Amino acid sequence: MKTVKRFFRKYFLTMVGIILLFLLLNLLLYLSLLAWAWKTSGGPEISVHEVWASVTVDEGGGLTEAEGLEKELEENDSWAMILDDTGAVVWEERLPEELPRWYTPTDVAKFSRWYLRDYPVFVLEHPAGLLVVGTAKNSFVKYCATYKESYVRIMLAGLAVAVAVNLIAVVLLSWWNMGRVEKAVTPILKGIETVASGRPVSLPEKGELSEIGRQLNRAGAFIAKKDSARADWISGVSHDVRTPLSVILGFAGQLEEDRSLPASAREQAAQIRRQGEKLRSLISDLNLASRLEYAMQPLRLEQVYPVELARQAVCEFLDGGLEERYELEFYAGPKSEPATLQGDEPLLKRALCNLIQNSIAHNPQGCRIAVSVTGEEAGIIITVADDGVGVSAEKLAELSADSPCLESTDEKLNLRHGLGVLLVRQIVEAHKGTMAMESALGKGFKTTLTFPAYAVLNFQKQIKS
Amino acid sequence: MLDKEILIVDDEKDLRDMICSIFSHAGYTKLVTAASGEEALTLLSKKMPGIILLDVMMPGMDGFALLQEIRAVSSVPVLMLTAKGEAEDRFSGFELGADDYLVKPFLPKELLLRVRAILKRAYPQENSIVTLAASCVDLDRAEVVKGEQRLPLTAKEYAVFQRLAENPGRIVTIGVLCQALCGDIWQGYETTLMTHIRHLREKIEENPSKPVSLLTVKGLGYKLMVKEPEK
Repeated sequence: MKTVKRFFRKYFLTMVGIILLFLLLNLLLYLSLLAWAWKTSGGPEISVHEVWASVTVDEGGGLTEAEGLEKELEENDSWAMILDDTGAVVWEERLPEELPRWYTPTDVAKFSRWYLRDYPVFVLEHPAGLLVVGTAKNSFVKYCATYKESYVRIMLAGLAVAVAVNLIAVVLLSWWNMGRVEKAVTPILKGIETVASGRPVSLPEKGELSEIGRQLNRAGAFIAKKDSARADWISGVSHDVRTPLSVILGFAGQLEEDRSLPASAREQAAQIRRQGEKLRSLISDLNLASRLEYAMQPLRLEQVYPVELARQAVCEFLDGGLEERYELEFYAGPKSEPATLQGDEPLLKRALCNLIQNSIAHNPQGCRIAVSVTGEEAGIIITVADDGVGVSAEKLAELSADSPCLESTDEKLNLRHGLGVLLVRQIVEAHKGTMAMESALGKGFKTTLTFPAYAVLNFQKQIKS
Repeated sequence: MLDKEILIVDDEKDLRDMICSIFSHAGYTKLVTAASGEEALTLLSKKMPGIILLDVMMPGMDGFALLQEIRAVSSVPVLMLTAKGEAEDRFSGFELGADDYLVKPFLPKELLLRVRAILKRAYPQENSIVTLAASCVDLDRAEVVKGEQRLPLTAKEYAVFQRLAENPGRIVTIGVLCQALCGDIWQGYETTLMTHIRHLREKIEENPSKPVSLLTVKGLGYKLMVKEPEK
């Protein structure tokens, strides 16, 4: 789910980035448009400064104009004049006839701000007086603005605030929108995760993405159906095998006990019985493993006393005619007797019996098997150790590998391979415990099951009080 | 015990034959079979057997339905034979009042042991004398007959001894014995159990410090060696 969170964070940052880029682009576009417009329709074609420089005052107070000024003014459809302090025109060039040759201060004040008889004019102080340059009517728009300073300040600040508010609004809205999308998408992603892990999925089938939810639910149901069909099939097959196997075991057992038969025939019957028993445990392991794998076997939790449980498992072997070459020992740690755990007793017993049976099956030459149970604050630890042939490091790694038990076939379809061990692992993990194996060739095999400690502590407190 | 009638209800003929063969080899003489729940009901309406072996999975009326019918009229001991072996079968079986269950496939030995144990529990008066190496125990009167002596058993000693005598030659775990002694919460009663065992040994053994009948299996429990488990 972390990747999903990261994805949405990235998505949000990208969105904010896009908005900022968009604003920047707009600003650039506007500025370049202004620049272009300025360039194509700048100030008067003939600059006032140019005219100013072209008219000089000589030492005697007379005015001389540079050559070509008249032509240039003509080309630009402009005119120019200089007024002295009294308002009289002291110099003029192409000044239209209609205009007066003398101006009052009121006239000057008016035309410098607005127009001179509809002629847009530009003014500049000149050593000889006031230089006035006029251009053709309707060639310029003159606009004279005067604002209070506070008004301008508010306007500028308002602009900044408006931009900021807009930006914040856009960011908040995209955050909210992203949250909505995330809220809609997250259950679906979780659903996909659940389906991928093989657990049952159930998504609400409403909202805009209901279709996807429905599809996922269908996919989950489909997988579950296939799994349960497989488990049902295995359970059906094992059911059908049990009756013939009962008959085989029953008659073989009777022949084995029949004292009227020659010893060799009885030994053969014993062989049939032993192989039948192997078949029996294989079938029940397979069935249980498939049910646990597909979570079809709910745990029936009750208070289990591991010490007593292990005792009963060991006694089953001792009473069940354990052959002489095997030695089965039991050890319970001091003060472990009252330790309890919440568990499914038959399943836990099955796990323990499987481990003991494994030691017997893999050491046909005989061995010593030690079962020990200790209940401590660290947890309940059950070990089954033998001093038999052990396994190689590779094989141990293979057994410890956490593969789903029903996919543990190799190229020779050798399913039996470690099925018992995998079943134990399933049972232990269903009880929130852990399983560890130690072995080396010729050094025996040891399995350690560890279960959580909370139940142990509770009970010891109870006993003390 | 061997003259108790055994009714075997199973739809598989091969299995019925095999079970009959097991019991006739073991010396049981009255064996009746039924191939379906319905057939079993007709047989039962005529005569109640000593024990019923009941298959769970049968076409038509299944084992649980039949058990319910039986329990409505009789408390005859019933051993369920279940091919499924799943926990849910076992639980519903006990809730309906089955005395025990056995998962198919089973060994002849297992079947005989279960039936023997159920019969012993259901018809106790018929096997009330347990013969040991140095003494006899009369379960009816709760006393030990050792030579000329008659030694009464206390209630606790009797509870422990009874549990051991029900499983002759088999280890009875400390937990099971403590449970017989003190009910469900048996933890912490191991030392009490040892005291009762010592007292029992004083009564039944020739030499209590070298027991030959009531044996300790270290760390696990105790085992009662009976001279003639079956009469």
